[in-house]
Amino acid sequence: MAQNNANSKKLSGVVGIFDEPRALIMATKKAREFGFKHFDAFTPYPVHGLEVAAGLKRSPIPYVTFVFGLVGCVLAFLYQYWTSAIDWALNIGGKPYNSWPAFVPIMFEVTILLGGLSTAAALFIFCGLPNLKKKAFDLSITRDRFALMIETPNLATNLDVKDNLKKTKEFLQSVGAKEVREVYEEGWGFSL
Amino acid sequence: MLTAEVRQVKNPGSLIAAPSVKTMFLVFSLIGVVTFMVGLFLDPKRMWFSFLHNHFYFLTLALGGLFFAALQWLTQAMWSAPVRRISEALTSFLPISLITFLILLFGIHYLYPWSYKGDIVLAGKSGYLNINFFILRNLLAIGLWVFFAIKMIGNSLKQDKDGSLAWTKKNRVLSPIFIILFALTYTMVSFDQLMSLDPHWFSTIFGVYCFAGLFYSNLALTCVLTVLLKRQGYLEGIVNENHLHDLGKFMFAFIVFWAYIAFCQFMLIWYANLPEETSYFLNRMHGGWIYVSLFLLIGKFIIPFFILLPRGAKRNEKLLFNIGIYMLVAQWIDFYWIIQPQYAPDGPVFGLIEIGILLGFLGIFGLVVQKFLSTHNLVAIGDPRLVEAVTHHHQ
Repeated sequence: MAQNNANSKKLSGVVGIFDEPRALIMATKKAREFGFKHFDAFTPYPVHGLEVAAGLKRSPIPYVTFVFGLVGCVLAFLYQYWTSAIDWALNIGGKPYNSWPAFVPIMFEVTILLGGLSTAAALFIFCGLPNLKKKAFDLSITRDRFALMIETPNLATNLDVKDNLKKTKEFLQSVGAKEVREVYEEGWGFSL
Repeated sequence: MLTAEVRQVKNPGSLIAAPSVKTMFLVFSLIGVVTFMVGLFLDPKRMWFSFLHNHFYFLTLALGGLFFAALQWLTQAMWSAPVRRISEALTSFLPISLITFLILLFGIHYLYPWSYKGDIVLAGKSGYLNINFFILRNLLAIGLWVFFAIKMIGNSLKQDKDGSLAWTKKNRVLSPIFIILFALTYTMVSFDQLMSLDPHWFSTIFGVYCFAGLFYSNLALTCVLTVLLKRQGYLEGIVNENHLHDLGKFMFAFIVFWAYIAFCQFMLIWYANLPEETSYFLNRMHGGWIYVSLFLLIGKFIIPFFILLPRGAKRNEKLLFNIGIYMLVAQWIDFYWIIQPQYAPDGPVFGLIEIGILLGFLGIFGLVVQKFLSTHNLVAIGDPRLVEAVTHHHQ
């Protein structure tokens, strides 16, 4: 069917659209149990429990934040120590050159700054953003609907693509999708 | 197919107290009474300082239980419904705190310099720092807490019987009133009972500092008791690692909050360098007290911060139990650091008197809390949010 399509575009997968987040979580769990390996869920807002249902591993981002936070803390101390005790030592109010209590607020701020910036950068890297190739295949999933996309590699494992496609559609209907349709690679600019 | 799983939470009943533990607490209490008597003859000043230390420490544990419970009603929190009763149990010690405060009044001349000597600074403060007003306002404050404990915890216990929403609504009205009064009265009590040990010194953030310690130790104790009951199988199917995770996050947050407030107090005084303010930290940065100060920085903040940082740690029952005990000890040392330098400026004094008085308070506290837990349900079984709280983590 994919090959016979009028526009001869490559099939990306089959999408099932749901009305509420709990239905999507149940469907995602069942898709995993059914044996699908390549699928993705789309929601208009973060849905708790979806990452568990999809069997996703914990994100490595916290480790990036931790390391960069520590680096920020240490760098802020070293820089202040260097400027106020080594490079340009000034006697301020009779306090020691290395007046560490005064450094702490800046160490704290630089910890937050590097931690925050590195988290944002890591998020972009791990999520493969920005991604200009793919476009939203249905605008309603940015508004009030929830989608589960079973991607083509699942369908192509079996040579009998037609049968697989049919089975996938039947699966999505059986887990309660309100709407099931095929999505083509070039056609992701599609909007309602 | 997609309706929420509705189920009944099985009532775990009350604690069946082990007689050996009860005997242990009784022995501790007796040791405390004996130490009190002997201490009065041998070294009354040292004994009264230790008495004040433990009186205030256990007062904060009990009051912290009331604050935690009130906070849950105020915010209409759902997650905490399975563990709220455990913090409610701590408030059963509040009436005893009223009694220990009355006993403390006999030692007032050993503890508070403003009560026995006068100078030009103290003369200026005598309108506030005089014995009669001190007794009156502190009794009023502790009495107020006991009143709110009886009202709010009473409502919660009555809800166990009929499960009516009306009790929650009543506590919704009482809890904000309590929290506002708590903020004012607890600041006053910590100024009076702790800060006025050194009546020349003052720090406006002192009340917040004491509050940070109060919540620090209260969350630790709530967590420790929850794990203890869970280990004995009482909270089967009610509290799981997700609820412990929530408690662990709360503990972690207040480790940071304490460090933030402690540093605020220290840095502003250090920076301004005014003689009337620096005495407090000078006393604690020289002699033997510098080691206790360093322990607070490293042991009360840095070590538990890094231990509780990973997600897995906050979901690990055994680790939470151990770190909870550790935090309770750290908070005890914090009050020790606030109080004892006035008695022993050269370095900490620790011996049989300190141990005996601590055991005495621990024994009475244990007996009272154990009694509460064995006469009431271990879980607020009538709470309308309990079913949701038990199931909300089971997606």
